[in-house]
Amino acid sequence: MNQKTILLVEDDYVDVTSVKRALGKLNIPHDLHVAHNGVDALALLNGNSPDGTKIKPDIIILDLNMPKMNGIEFLGIIKNYYSLKSIKVFVMTTSSEEYDRAAAENLGITGYILKPLDFEKSKDSPASSTFQLMSELVN
Amino acid sequence: MTIKFKLFTGILILISIFAVDFFVNQRLSKDVIKNTAYLNNSEAIIRNSNILNKLMIDMQSGLRGYLLTDQEDFLVPYYEGLKSVPSLLKEQKKLVNSSNQKERLDSIHTLHLKWIDYSNALITTKKDTLPEANARYIELFERRVKARYGKRLNDSIRDIFQDFDSYEYRRRQDRRRTLEKSIEDTRFITFILAICSITVALVSGLYIIRLITTRISKMVDLAEEISKGNFKTMKDNQHDELRKLSESLNTMSTILDKNFKELTKKNKELDEFAYVVSHDLKAPLRGIDNITKWLEEDHEQELTPDVKRNLDLIKGRTKRLENMINGLLDYARIGKVKRGFQKVAVEKMLNELVELLVPPNFVVNIKNKMPVLMTDKLHIEQVFSNLISNAVKYNDKPVGRIDIGAFDWGDYYEFTVQDNGIGIQSAYYEKIFTIFQTLQERDAFESTGVGLAIVKKILEDHKSTITVESISGKGTVFTFTWPKYLVNE
Repeated sequence: MNQKTILLVEDDYVDVTSVKRALGKLNIPHDLHVAHNGVDALALLNGNSPDGTKIKPDIIILDLNMPKMNGIEFLGIIKNYYSLKSIKVFVMTTSSEEYDRAAAENLGITGYILKPLDFEKSKDSPASSTFQLMSELVN
Repeated sequence: MTIKFKLFTGILILISIFAVDFFVNQRLSKDVIKNTAYLNNSEAIIRNSNILNKLMIDMQSGLRGYLLTDQEDFLVPYYEGLKSVPSLLKEQKKLVNSSNQKERLDSIHTLHLKWIDYSNALITTKKDTLPEANARYIELFERRVKARYGKRLNDSIRDIFQDFDSYEYRRRQDRRRTLEKSIEDTRFITFILAICSITVALVSGLYIIRLITTRISKMVDLAEEISKGNFKTMKDNQHDELRKLSESLNTMSTILDKNFKELTKKNKELDEFAYVVSHDLKAPLRGIDNITKWLEEDHEQELTPDVKRNLDLIKGRTKRLENMINGLLDYARIGKVKRGFQKVAVEKMLNELVELLVPPNFVVNIKNKMPVLMTDKLHIEQVFSNLISNAVKYNDKPVGRIDIGAFDWGDYYEFTVQDNGIGIQSAYYEKIFTIFQTLQERDAFESTGVGLAIVKKILEDHKSTITVESISGKGTVFTFTWPKYLVNE
């Protein structure tokens, strides 16, 4: 299994930890980069980040509700770049954000991860199955 | 022009018509009275005239008799006449008004005096026994009597009397004709005036009634519209007392409309607020829950039973808070979700709900035929599901019983959900519909206290009501109404 580069765009530290733990548990080899909002994420993709890192992720896990630039805005921008267009985007959302979910769907996404990321209790929970699917997709 | 003024004008016109009528009749009756007086006077004149004429003729006959027979008793009427004629003439002159008649009387008087002179000369000479007197008498007799001097005087007097009488009769006839004409005229005028006053009264009465009733009915319509919640205004071009009323109605409607819109906006804002707040509250809550779980996971071996129990308590409270927030979200969402009308077969819907919510140790009885209606399915389903799950939740009997009934009141339906559960004390009938109010300790019985608040809000949204009756320990009946919507399928 070759290692996959994952960009997590999420402002909530708990959610970031949650995703990290989930990835660790599922034994998916990965290189995880974290951006706290859309602006930082774009900087990472363009190599404009403070430390000059430039990444080319296989998967973007995107939170919708963030400061500075929210998930929908970010999605709208990367879908207009030829080089970024093909990256698989998974949106992390709560069940009540139906309106935003519809907007994300219109922009073109690969899948959802439903918050809360409740994968500990059962391997069949929506979140864990999405992660499974995710790992299969990128292999 | 004010209504008061219009009414006053109408009444004024009527009064003037009656005044004219009264005046005309008054004048007529004066004419009649005057004419009667004239007739009485005229009769007296004719009577006097006849008496005078007769007296004079009697005097003439007396004189003739005396001259022929020489017997003095023939002269009795003559002397009588001498005494009464002057006073009668005087009286007659007073009665007569016309100058023509006065002249005639004067002529009669003059002629009569001449005749008396003539007569006196004859009588004195005849009575005197002296020979010169006798000669004088013969001379007079020859010169005057035979020459018919006296006869001529008498003829003239008779002619004038005739003229006098006929003039009087003619005048009387003229008078009668004038009176008849004025009676005729008055009748005509009275008739015309009566028709005028009836017309004026009818027309002005109808006009005022129309003016008032059409506008009052317009205002009644407006008031009804307002009471239905349609805050319209009306146009009124008249400037009178009713205008003030219509203006007040319009003002009231406008203010109500403004306030109502404001209230609707505020309510919407409140719902929005509750929705946003509860949504945002969930994110940190999720974090707490996650961290608690990680603590348990990562330190499973090191945790003392005390710490483990406390962590469980944190998880329990977090769960409760989440339930409450979800309840608040559901509550706030009632007004937000757009209504979708569809055909709802209530019995089918109830069977589905029972299968989903009611455990096997319950007997559910649908008492009568349930309607099939076009309505907001989500809402009626939510009401029934909350009531049924409450009936299940608050039941302590070995065999639970739920009876569901429906009644068609014509304008709306009435549904009942009855259980044999723990019941509610009457003191709490109001409280149970308030959000987050529960009747049992939360630690003993997990309940958010949102279900009945949602039911109440949904029913208020549909302009319906819910009531509760219960016997503590025996069971509870919830009765709610549901509107009949006129929606095309």
